[in-house]
Amino acid sequence: MVTRAGTPDGAAVPSARQVAGRRWRASRGVLLALLAMVAIAVALAALRPSGTAQDLDPTSPGAGGTRALAEILKQRGTPVAVSRRAADAAGRATGDAVLVVTRTERLTDADLERLRSAPGDLLLVAPGRDALAALAPGVREAAPSFERADDPDCALPAAAQAGRATFANAETYEVPPGATGCYQADGLPRLVQASIGGRTVTVLGSSSPLTNEHLAEEGNAALAMNLVGARSSMVWLIPDLPEPGAEGGERTLGDLLPFGVKLFFLELLVAVVLVALWRSRRLGPVVAEALPVVVRSSETVEGRARLYRAHRARDRAADALRAGARERLVPLLGLPRGAAQDPAAANGIVSAVALRTGRAEAEVGAALYGPEPADDAGLVRLSDLLDDLERQVRDS
Amino acid sequence: MALTGRLGLLALLGALVPLVLPSWSTLWVLWGVLLAGVVADLLLAGNVRALRFHRSGDANVRLGETAHVALTVENLGRRRVKARLRDVWPPSAGAAPRVTRIDVPAGERRRVEMTLVPSRRGDREAVTVVVRSVGPLGLAARQLSRPAPWRVRVLPAFPSRRHLPGKLAKLRELTGAHVALIRGQGTEFDSLREYVDGDDVRSIDWRATARRGDVVVRTWRPERDRRIYLVLDTGRTAAGRVGDVPRLDCSMDAALLLGALASRAGDRVDLLAYDRRVRARVEGASRTDLLPAMVQAMAPLEPELIESDAAGMVSTLMSRVRQRCLVVLLTELNTAAIEEGLLPLLPQLTARHMVMVAAISDPRVTEMAAARGDLAAVYDAAAAERARADRRRLTAELRSYGVEVVDAPPEEIAPALADAYLALKAAGRL
Repeated sequence: MVTRAGTPDGAAVPSARQVAGRRWRASRGVLLALLAMVAIAVALAALRPSGTAQDLDPTSPGAGGTRALAEILKQRGTPVAVSRRAADAAGRATGDAVLVVTRTERLTDADLERLRSAPGDLLLVAPGRDALAALAPGVREAAPSFERADDPDCALPAAAQAGRATFANAETYEVPPGATGCYQADGLPRLVQASIGGRTVTVLGSSSPLTNEHLAEEGNAALAMNLVGARSSMVWLIPDLPEPGAEGGERTLGDLLPFGVKLFFLELLVAVVLVALWRSRRLGPVVAEALPVVVRSSETVEGRARLYRAHRARDRAADALRAGARERLVPLLGLPRGAAQDPAAANGIVSAVALRTGRAEAEVGAALYGPEPADDAGLVRLSDLLDDLERQVRDS
Repeated sequence: MALTGRLGLLALLGALVPLVLPSWSTLWVLWGVLLAGVVADLLLAGNVRALRFHRSGDANVRLGETAHVALTVENLGRRRVKARLRDVWPPSAGAAPRVTRIDVPAGERRRVEMTLVPSRRGDREAVTVVVRSVGPLGLAARQLSRPAPWRVRVLPAFPSRRHLPGKLAKLRELTGAHVALIRGQGTEFDSLREYVDGDDVRSIDWRATARRGDVVVRTWRPERDRRIYLVLDTGRTAAGRVGDVPRLDCSMDAALLLGALASRAGDRVDLLAYDRRVRARVEGASRTDLLPAMVQAMAPLEPELIESDAAGMVSTLMSRVRQRCLVVLLTELNTAAIEEGLLPLLPQLTARHMVMVAAISDPRVTEMAAARGDLAAVYDAAAAERARADRRRLTAELRSYGVEVVDAPPEEIAPALADAYLALKAAGRL
């Protein structure tokens, strides 16, 4: 009967449903924010042009690879020298070769510097901002364009002969004076050719005309051949990822931070320690005291009720209800007190109750001494019937 | 010693300085300034070590009422002390205010008034007094904790004392001292007086009538100077709460009312609190001392979570009282505890004493027994009926030993017990 836990009477214990509802209301804001973040992330990932490791690789037969172009060029007598490092590519480049530079986002500043000083013409495929600035100064990114097919509309022979070409989302460029721009979208070209530093630099705003997937569309193949063909050799640079720390040596975050900022953080640490010391010193101790036991006296009775219910103990429950009803009926009927629990007095009680209530003796007998109710509904009916009998005897 | 938030804030603001003047010397100067400020504050703050604490005020308070305890702070130092003071009490003492400000000039005293509204019965002891005196710059403080012992004993509330006047009026009717001048009932011869119309003819003393030549009646009064032994069971069954009050507290309330009534009726009242050993005892208290002695003895009692030892209780009782007395046992009608513990010993007890058992029934069980409607309610009702049947059986069994049983819900137990006592007294069975 005695335990050390329990809630005092009267303090409503919330149901599991209420608790769940409260938790849902408390956390739905956070959940919605998380969902929104996931949705935005998925949308951003979907909008970003997909790229794989093999894109623009002349040895790759995949959709994004350029093996088809390389094979055609080889048949035409222009071998494709694939280069994986900028230094290597710069070394192989010759005066009448064309150097195709792809995946410029993998090039370091040092690589760009090497390429700038390499001889020969350049074809930059979808270059990044840094590569543009280094290799094609004067040409600047303008805005992306999503028009697919377009006419060349320019005097550049390579483009004019190729005719219509298709571009998946391509970059357009602002051209410096003296340069030629083709495939204009909103007046801004997607293909730019300019003479810079004594060599011809061609900037192609999209890699798709060169890929296996799109090479056969419209005049893509012709455009690609014209741009790189008709040379004695070509070097195709598709750089590997730069090695970690390859650029500029072993500089850590600490080297990059100004000295004052480091001191700022040190002082911040001191401030945090001081604040912690301030908060940790209480004005006096926490006082513990022994709490009294809180246990309801009716706990055993409630526990017994739950046990009855769990085991569907209709027999015991019915016996208890009948005994209680008889105990209250007997004094009302003017019978001796002991008669309530005395089996010999059963007939007397039943006939007296039947007489007072006007009910059939069989019905009263079944109510007061009958068998176990067949089901739960029977038990509830029995309890109601006993109540009725008691009330009728009292009122009669 | 204690630091303040202002120091932390200054250090935080100081973090901006090296952004402007990035050098180690800037930082060292900053730290030096802060350290100097702290040292200056510690030196200039009021000397809390020179403070002395004295207490005065209430040592007893009834549960539910407010106690006032004064804390006098004396400054023996040579400087004024301005400080924040916390008088630390256990949470159930309900002490307020939590923190006060004091300003004690050198050589003077100041009083801090504390009010206590205890939430539980028992002894509440002051833990300590903490003083924190912040320096003039507000960067650091001197802090000291020093005990200032004081104990407030929280006495039982005795809410049933409102029944006392009514019960005393009944008692006066019994003794014949009532203003209505009804002839007293009882078995103890009091005096002879002249017959007046309405007197019971059976009480005429014929021998005295013959001597006086006038009809004389005997008057009677209830016996006086009987002994009543109140026994509080402080075992596990006393811990159960009826409503939100432990059984023990209800029993105490009933015992106090009965004690007050019986002492006015001229009986001697003793008290014993027992579970496996004697927890409290009041014996031989005079009429005027009885109630204070009883509440003082009851105040620190708590129910113990152990099975009561009925054999030990009976033997203690038998060894303490030789003459016949009324033993009032305030316990719970728990089938297992009573049948195994008390019942086998009852003949021994009833042979010499009149025994009365007072138990508190739980209104929740009555409520459950009346529950109808769905299946759960019916099972509740069945369990409650079963519990009530057990209780009735136990009551009948106890009565078969000649024991008086008073079984009532908590708000009625005290008057019911008092009525049972008055009935016994009227019947001359004490």
